[in-house]
Amino acid sequence: MAYVATRGGERAIEQSQRLFREEMGTITAERVAEIRRALPYLIDRVMGEASLYDEDLAALALAQTGGELYEAVLLLRSWRTTQPRLAVAAPVTQEGLFTHRRISAAFKDIPGGQVLGPTLDYAHRILATEVLSDQAYTPDPVEPAAQPSPARQPSVAAWQAENDLLSAAPADPTAGNDIPDITREPLLFPSKRAHTLQSLARAETGGVLALGYAAQRGYGQAHPTVNELRLAEGEVMVQHPRGTTFSAGRVKISQAEVVNKKGTQLELGFAATLGWNEVKVIAAATLDLNSEGAAKGSATEEEFFLYHTEGVESSGFCIHFKLPHYVTFQSSLDAMRDAKTKKNARQAEPAE
Amino acid sequence: MSLKSLTKDWEPMSYGFLDASAKCEIRRKTLKAIAVPGCQIPYASREVPMARGWGTGGLQISCTLINPRTTVKVIDQGADDSVNAASIRRFLSRVSGAPTTTDTLKADLIQSRHRIPEEKLREDQVLVLQVPNPEPLRPVQPNMSIARQMHADADYGRMWLQLYEQIVRSGRVMQGASYPSLVHGRFVMTPSPIPRWDVPKMHMAKHLTILSAGREKRLHAVPPYTRVEPLVFDDVPYQVEEHGQLTCTRSGAKGYFMNEIPQNDGTSTYEVSDSELGIKTIQKADGDTVELGDTWYQDGEMTQ
Repeated sequence: MAYVATRGGERAIEQSQRLFREEMGTITAERVAEIRRALPYLIDRVMGEASLYDEDLAALALAQTGGELYEAVLLLRSWRTTQPRLAVAAPVTQEGLFTHRRISAAFKDIPGGQVLGPTLDYAHRILATEVLSDQAYTPDPVEPAAQPSPARQPSVAAWQAENDLLSAAPADPTAGNDIPDITREPLLFPSKRAHTLQSLARAETGGVLALGYAAQRGYGQAHPTVNELRLAEGEVMVQHPRGTTFSAGRVKISQAEVVNKKGTQLELGFAATLGWNEVKVIAAATLDLNSEGAAKGSATEEEFFLYHTEGVESSGFCIHFKLPHYVTFQSSLDAMRDAKTKKNARQAEPAE
Repeated sequence: MSLKSLTKDWEPMSYGFLDASAKCEIRRKTLKAIAVPGCQIPYASREVPMARGWGTGGLQISCTLINPRTTVKVIDQGADDSVNAASIRRFLSRVSGAPTTTDTLKADLIQSRHRIPEEKLREDQVLVLQVPNPEPLRPVQPNMSIARQMHADADYGRMWLQLYEQIVRSGRVMQGASYPSLVHGRFVMTPSPIPRWDVPKMHMAKHLTILSAGREKRLHAVPPYTRVEPLVFDDVPYQVEEHGQLTCTRSGAKGYFMNEIPQNDGTSTYEVSDSELGIKTIQKADGDTVELGDTWYQDGEMTQ
């Protein structure tokens, strides 16, 4: 019988994909729209990790992958690779953010006020099981406050800097295409500030939480106080080739400032991401706060946490172990067997 | 004349998937890698439509080098029909229109994971190796920035110490695949997780080898006619896998790197790892006209 040059591999992968996709069935525009409407926080998380702000594409990626988050993010990141860079938007500053929610744990009240905004923080986490027996759950309508809170507020860190409690980082004048971009340059260490913040912005939420939590629990030196947490919208201002400046729309942004007392000054940790994802920015800001002077190889060292919270890389590497490794395995077996033979031969020799 | 007649129609992605700026960067970094053999060159490494760790580094090189006249061969563990090799081959041909082959002799570009084909490569061929971990110092220094400094200083003492300790503890160097090798007398590189059997094929080879790690964002190269010397002590010679005397049960090919196939009765049989070489051997035995190229190993011995 001849050696059959199989093309089985190609057929097998085709059928395995069909099996996977069969469960999701037909994907329609309605399904994508419903995912976008029903799961805004999941959409936000995916957009943040993908570093691609497009709710429709994020919803499509979720529909196409059946909610396999790592797959959805990879789908968006590789789509992003194919897109040209048309313009660089103007910087979005804290005081310019259209703010929905803004709280500070550092002060009872802050200039601009505490704005609770949308949150489940004080909700009792009880499943609405009646929905399963066909009673729709309709949330109670929101009653607007008599006085709306201001849409824009100064940052708490700015107030602290004015009062000599915190030395604010000098403003970085780098603009436009000169801003280091993690999607177009490799991450090298010590990392550029822009690269650090960009990496944290698109880090995998669970990974940032795990390492941030480790720092918070005691493996970090700095104990974070949430100076300010914000959920907001930022205006994307771009310049038309004709010279006019216009808004290309708003993007949801979350950001966190955390501080720690160091001598007579506060040190500041900062993180921001696309979409509303509070856990991620608090954990990421904690890592940022702890990174200065962290020991090489510790969980709060920049190189350690930036490499290991990159979700596309970590998840890809983790699943790559499913690939055949029989050549490398064979090579190891050979060394093991030979070492064993040598050992047995040595033991068989009579003692001198 | 209208503007439309001067421009191409909009397409959802560029030729060869990567856009011009990504290819430009990879070309520049590849040239740098060729100019400094064995030195790891960082590159941006765009996300591609495959998971990291599945050949995205090799894929970016292939996507950059490919053109409609490039004949491509893709192998994984020596086999053309391995599922991931099939997937990468299909992707490359889909985004480039390039013809594919399983014949090592007919390929212009060979993307491979964990093997170098047994038939000798020529000056006009390029081998792209997928690399999971580009840093040979990782076992002795997991921190990338320290390791980078060690390379700059040619500080390989801990590497040697590790090999020495293995000999003391186990009676031999225990490194399986990815045997650390000195390139052009300067940089220690990982040859990627190819078996020790394949490392001597890189030494003074006629072809260009580009090794690319997509997840780790590093690429390095072995230019043609470059020294690649496995790290060994003068009195403990380099040892390839003891496959020289094994025979493939399916093709009868003898003296090449084999896959061990465990049997129900507790024994093992062997199949030649380079699947195309196995096919050619069978075809030749059947009396078919088939061109079997020169192989690096003859009668189980390295010829160089």
